[in-house]
Amino acid sequence: MTHPEMQADVVIVGAGPAGLACALHLARLLDARGLSKENIYVLEKGRALGAHQLSGAVMDPRGLEELEPGFAGDPELGALPVKDDALLVFTENHAVRSPVTPPPLHNHGNYIVSLNRLAQWLGAKVEALGVNVFTSFAGRELLFDGPRLLGVRTDDKGVGRDHQPKANFEPGYDLKTPIVVFAEGTRGSLAKQLLGHLRLGGENPQVYSLGVKEIWDLPAGRFPAGRVYHTLGWPFPTDLYGGGWIYGLRDNQVSIGLMTALEYRDPATDPHNLFQAFKTHPFMRELLEGGEMARYGAKTTPMGGWYAHPPLAGDAWLIVGDSAGMVNSQRLKGIHLAIKSGMLAAESVFETMTGQGSLRGYPAKVEASWVREELWKVRNFHQGFEHGLWAGLFHAGVQQVTGGRGLRARYPSQPGPARMRKLGTLGDPPLMTPPDGKLTFDKVTDVFHSGTRHEEDQPCHLLIAEMDICNERCVREYGNPCVSYCPASVYEMVIGDDGAPELHLNPSNCVHCKTCDIMDPYANITWVPPEGGGGPSFG
Amino acid sequence: MILVITETKLTAPGKFNPASLEAVAAAQQLGAALQLPVAAVVLGADDAALAGELATRKLAKVVRLQNPALGAYNPDVWVQSLVQAVSQLQPRYVLFPHTYQVRDYAPQLATRMAGALISDVTGFRVENGQPIFLRPMFQGKWAAEVAFTANSAPGFLTVQIGAFRGDQAEAGAAAAPLETLAVTPGPSPLHAGEVFQEAKQAVDLTQAPIIVAVGRGIKEPKNLDLVRELAAALGGELAASRPICDSGWLPMDRQIGSSGQTVAPKLYLAVGISGAIQHLVGMKGSRTIVAINKDPEAPIFEVADYGVVGNLFDVVPALVTALKNQA
Repeated sequence: MTHPEMQADVVIVGAGPAGLACALHLARLLDARGLSKENIYVLEKGRALGAHQLSGAVMDPRGLEELEPGFAGDPELGALPVKDDALLVFTENHAVRSPVTPPPLHNHGNYIVSLNRLAQWLGAKVEALGVNVFTSFAGRELLFDGPRLLGVRTDDKGVGRDHQPKANFEPGYDLKTPIVVFAEGTRGSLAKQLLGHLRLGGENPQVYSLGVKEIWDLPAGRFPAGRVYHTLGWPFPTDLYGGGWIYGLRDNQVSIGLMTALEYRDPATDPHNLFQAFKTHPFMRELLEGGEMARYGAKTTPMGGWYAHPPLAGDAWLIVGDSAGMVNSQRLKGIHLAIKSGMLAAESVFETMTGQGSLRGYPAKVEASWVREELWKVRNFHQGFEHGLWAGLFHAGVQQVTGGRGLRARYPSQPGPARMRKLGTLGDPPLMTPPDGKLTFDKVTDVFHSGTRHEEDQPCHLLIAEMDICNERCVREYGNPCVSYCPASVYEMVIGDDGAPELHLNPSNCVHCKTCDIMDPYANITWVPPEGGGGPSFG
Repeated sequence: MILVITETKLTAPGKFNPASLEAVAAAQQLGAALQLPVAAVVLGADDAALAGELATRKLAKVVRLQNPALGAYNPDVWVQSLVQAVSQLQPRYVLFPHTYQVRDYAPQLATRMAGALISDVTGFRVENGQPIFLRPMFQGKWAAEVAFTANSAPGFLTVQIGAFRGDQAEAGAAAAPLETLAVTPGPSPLHAGEVFQEAKQAVDLTQAPIIVAVGRGIKEPKNLDLVRELAAALGGELAASRPICDSGWLPMDRQIGSSGQTVAPKLYLAVGISGAIQHLVGMKGSRTIVAINKDPEAPIFEVADYGVVGNLFDVVPALVTALKNQA
């Protein structure tokens, strides 16, 4: 098959905060010198700007203030200043308000934003400057000549489930470019391909948490806009890292959610169901009483910190934002880092385009910026919790007084699925919370509220390397954890023709959280983008 | 000269593909801009009628290609015949309507003649006497400007359907002369099989007064006959929830729900359907909903007017028997 070829100056993969900040800053730098922006392409797999953007989200304004000074006053963005905050510690039946909110969870001066709206707002500015943002086009694979990156191929349109072209077939484009900026967000599929191809990685493996979220409409006056609560404790056992949030939005809405570390031992752990359990806590039950669930979403977040960053640049590429793991896992914030890293990348790209430097200068820019300053202080934070909550709090304390070092220079870590134990080596499976259709929901009902849509007649975008591993080994060894960890019921075990259980996939349910790509104990599942435009419609 | 290769394949009995006239309109506009005459080529079965129609248009001539092998479409025959026609007529540009058939043979023809093909043209403009063509990219988000290099003669172009208006194909002052050109395509290793039936009109379940829909409770495809029998006894259409169509047990056009059709029949009988919200949004507007499910907690019962909690393998045969006795 031949693909139409186009020459680009820069290809930015992903129109999230990092990719759009990069595009916007770059466009302004080029404008200031009167240089052409014509051949800068931003690819976005979502069918509209912001459709795949999901976060809590409380934003540290530092990044956006540098990119767009005065953003807070723009009603189009509608950033909501945090008015008060608290940390709640949940036990099974009680919620205790922590007498002091730990400094990292202080949110005064921060803003509650809709990440979806932020992407639309930034994207409009990017497009107004004449940069091409191609929504519904996914970066599908990379073009290499040996180790040399040559460009990005977009997804083919109109391919049937049987991999044959349909009447509306249109092959993907080969975008040949000297510069690719990987801004795909968490667990980027092309960034993964790049690092795999070049055999690169961080000093520590990247680890992730899965956030599961609902937006609720509440009776008026129930929870004030601008209030930010974080929770610790129940429903998590102390050996499982995670926490919850309640953010007061405008119009009597709240964003509630639960982050579960994808580092658990019990393969039957079900983050979506843990979130359902979270809502049955007396505090949450009372909060949500008489309200109605409006929206749903799920997304992973990289939590590994500084030592889990992959190399950030090569001769022809840069990695920014979540794709690079730029998240402060102690403060649970990454949007400001995504924006800043995008801007720093833009400066490196500009210097490369104008012959004043090379892309290899980008890591040094990150080193010299407040991104490093902030992340260095928490470089060992997440790894300190490797042995549970109590050990974690101890390490966090030691790190606090040693400038982030703690008891050793670099706390080691292992990939999340490496911790998973086989069936029969643990006690009883976790208790499941049955859905009642009012407070608690099953996965398919939640997926419905994510606005997820895919073309049904297309090849499965979850590549299973060996189905035999799922149906013969995994079923015995781990009991098919994909069925549990997937927050969208993509994976189910059904009884096959021979009477034995076999894996069945419902790819059109996929909310693009990437958990399966991360958490499969055999690394048997590879997530690739489905036909562009498919996926959730977060908003 | 500009040549338009038209298509005689009918879109309906007695109806020419209107795309042929659209291509003629495009060629006339290009001809006017470049001061080149336009001729049309007709080939294929039933070419006389289309040739007659084209002769009424403002064309320098209408050329009918003749050879017995042109009775049925074969890409080899088309390519070889058109190589001969184009070589003889020496056009500067060759236009085709962007039909499925053209997509099949035009790239091969262009390659064979060492020419370039610009597909899916939606418009053009002329700069310094040279035409610059527009074609959509990135699914229409962009229009790319493409031009032939000086030495790529002739230039082949397919014209996107709907980009030019067929009714703007200018009529001629007098009938265009009809010519015939004998072509001699060689033997082809391809032989025509049965003509492919384009996808039949999807079942329009929205018009059915009675729908019997089946879900995963049916367990195996062979059990579908049970529900088929019930649908027949009721005079209704058979439909399904997503898992059934997803497994290929019924075609996708029978799927009810958010990724299928939305229906509101007088009677909706849900058999072995649990009632995920994705299904409910496709049928909850039905006037009367009857649900058969063995799980009394199944959400389908929340929207059902009548519910039968029971094993469908007992209930459905009993219903069929009752309906038959009644009849």
